[in-house]
Amino acid sequence: MLAACGSEDRPIERERVRTPPQGAADARIPYYQDNLFQVARGARFFSWYGCGSCHAAGGDEALDLADGKWRHGGDFDAVFASIAQGRAPGMPAYGSRMPVETLWQVTAYVRDIEKQDAATRRRQDLDRRAEGGGRGS
Amino acid sequence: MAALDLNAPQADLAQDAAALDAIWRDPPGIRGFLTTVDHKRIAARYLVTTLALLVIAGILALDMRLQLSQPGLERMGPQAYNEAFTLHGSTMLFLVSVPVMEAMAIWLVPLMLGQRNLAYPRLTAYSYWLYLGGVLMLWVPHALGITPDLGWFQYPPLSGPAYGPGHRVDIWAQMITFTEVAALAASVNVAVTILKMRPPGMTLARMPLFLWAMLVTSVMTVLALPAVMLATSLLIADRLVSTQFFSPGAGGDVLLFQHIFWFFGHPEVYIIFIPAVGFVSAIVETFTRRAVFGYTVQVLAIISVGLLAFGLWVHHMFAVGLPRLGASFYTAASMAIALPIGLQIFSWIATIASGRPRFDTPLLWVTGFIATFVIGGLSGVMTASAPLDLQLTDTYFVVAHLHYVLIGGALFPLFGALTYWFPKATGRIMSEGWGKIAFWLVFVGFNIGFFPMHLLGLMGMPRRIYTYPAEAGWGTLNLVATAGMLIASLGAAIIVANAVISLRWGRRAGVDPWGGATLEWSCASPPPPWNFAATPVVASLTPGWEPPPRAVMTGLSLENREVLVTSVGDAVPEHRQPSPGPSIWPLLTALATALLFVGSIFTPWAVVWGSIPVAAALIGWFWPRTRPEEAQAEAP
Repeated sequence: MLAACGSEDRPIERERVRTPPQGAADARIPYYQDNLFQVARGARFFSWYGCGSCHAAGGDEALDLADGKWRHGGDFDAVFASIAQGRAPGMPAYGSRMPVETLWQVTAYVRDIEKQDAATRRRQDLDRRAEGGGRGS
Repeated sequence: MAALDLNAPQADLAQDAAALDAIWRDPPGIRGFLTTVDHKRIAARYLVTTLALLVIAGILALDMRLQLSQPGLERMGPQAYNEAFTLHGSTMLFLVSVPVMEAMAIWLVPLMLGQRNLAYPRLTAYSYWLYLGGVLMLWVPHALGITPDLGWFQYPPLSGPAYGPGHRVDIWAQMITFTEVAALAASVNVAVTILKMRPPGMTLARMPLFLWAMLVTSVMTVLALPAVMLATSLLIADRLVSTQFFSPGAGGDVLLFQHIFWFFGHPEVYIIFIPAVGFVSAIVETFTRRAVFGYTVQVLAIISVGLLAFGLWVHHMFAVGLPRLGASFYTAASMAIALPIGLQIFSWIATIASGRPRFDTPLLWVTGFIATFVIGGLSGVMTASAPLDLQLTDTYFVVAHLHYVLIGGALFPLFGALTYWFPKATGRIMSEGWGKIAFWLVFVGFNIGFFPMHLLGLMGMPRRIYTYPAEAGWGTLNLVATAGMLIASLGAAIIVANAVISLRWGRRAGVDPWGGATLEWSCASPPPPWNFAATPVVASLTPGWEPPPRAVMTGLSLENREVLVTSVGDAVPEHRQPSPGPSIWPLLTALATALLFVGSIFTPWAVVWGSIPVAAALIGWFWPRTRPEEAQAEAP
């Protein structure tokens, strides 16, 4: 139950991260990875930054984020690095476009996708895609 | 067979008391507490629960007022503030206003009808236990740090699966399911009791206005509350099993939620207000010592309010971009409802003006109600206008309006009613001196607290903000508002203290301390478990003011719980109906229902597997049992 409370926390008033994770065991990781609010924020930014245009559900196997297979490592710091620094051949570096906290949130979301069932993910994407403000995918 | 006995007043039937006591008394101790179907005991716990929540949610309001008393305060953050107004609004609307009126009806309707219990005694018990489940559904998660935070109406898409992660929204939605099922159970019970259990002679045209009010309210509840359960259940389905009712991207419609919600939400305002109308009529009649002026007008006004209330929900949605013709229609409908309510106000004023008013505390509350509610009604007519509403919606003007109509329109009459019927329920009178002091503190404090909000709204202060900059220029009026709230809170504290102290040391009331005209004033204070030794026979609108001897009807069983069933129109006695005794099954059924409701937050399968315990409990509830009388008859 206590874990559930932590995941339900809305950490709007807590100080924001300013630096990338220091390794896979960085103490700040649970505040993002295990928090539903942060993961949901990450999902929204994922949609706004157009990540879904390549990483769509049911797309190319190499780009599939939902299958639990990670070519460049699935630890938090590794996924963070992939997003921030980019990966050849086609993944651009988002470190210069996203604020640091946004990178944390998107990382948390990307690592959370494999835990979601396809129907839930699709339903949430429908809402976010219909959103007027972002670029969508 | 029942017989009309013109010469046996209630006192002469005292010899029946021992026999009645044996069949109507609850088992002692905890067993009696858990199994009771006595409408007075259940109403008492309903009332204590709702009033405790009124105090708690009131303290939350005070907390928010302190936060807003100065610009730029950071004692509450935005998240804490969101949770505070959500808890305040959800508690007040779903867990206080509607249930407290039901509680009053559960307590008062059988007494006003000269009956021994409601039509469905076990349903009364079930209703309370389920309501308590709704209270726990909201407040236990709050204690664990999971608090709904999207306001008392949680619109999708914000509350949908993409933007409302976690279980906060589900908790709110399922709290509603709990309380609305409880309210439906209570309403069916009250409506059937009023229609089929009136005492002989109490035709529809001789029914006290409070009973008319509760009848119309109950029918409205039955029609309106399923809508909100539909809205929240569709929302839960969207969140839990990925349906697309409120997803525009998939062809759903977010406004659908608002339409269904307000189809309930606007009638709900009148579901809270109409019982208060009933209190006002009862109090005005007693304290002006004349029958209410314009009885027929009042009845027709209550019925037309009940009808019109279902045709104006869209005025909550003027800002969402509706076709102009539609908006104009709802503007007209919203203004039309002011007419029947105006008729009622004039009828009460005429009653007070032409009677011999005695301004005891209950009538003071009524005059406070008239003054405050008229202001709230006028700001309501203003916001009913679509072009003006576009400017005012989501500002403090609306906050001021809704508190004027809900506190002024429903809580003031409720406080009057609690003072008025306190002696009947407890046998003791609340202190008049302290009652008047409390009234003036609440009345003055309330108006100082909420009137400035009209101005703040016109100045553009939005609702649901946790703080504001000093440059906005809202600081002074907000400080005044907070000061008013503190004064009103002092008055509220005096009311609570007065009630608690009077319960123990108050002056003894006797049967009829105020000289009331309705039947509840002819049974003992507090009423015994069987209420009346014999069923009163009614010959006018004001049976309590008829000269003695008063006719009664005897003939109900002295061996089994029985109630009298009469015809719907003319209240002609039809038959004696067995009335169920104490039972544990309502509690067990409520527990099984709670299991289903709570489980369905986590998995849709809870609806499937959870229905098995509910079915088992219902089978236990309705299992045929032989009554002792029948057993004797069948014995050789």
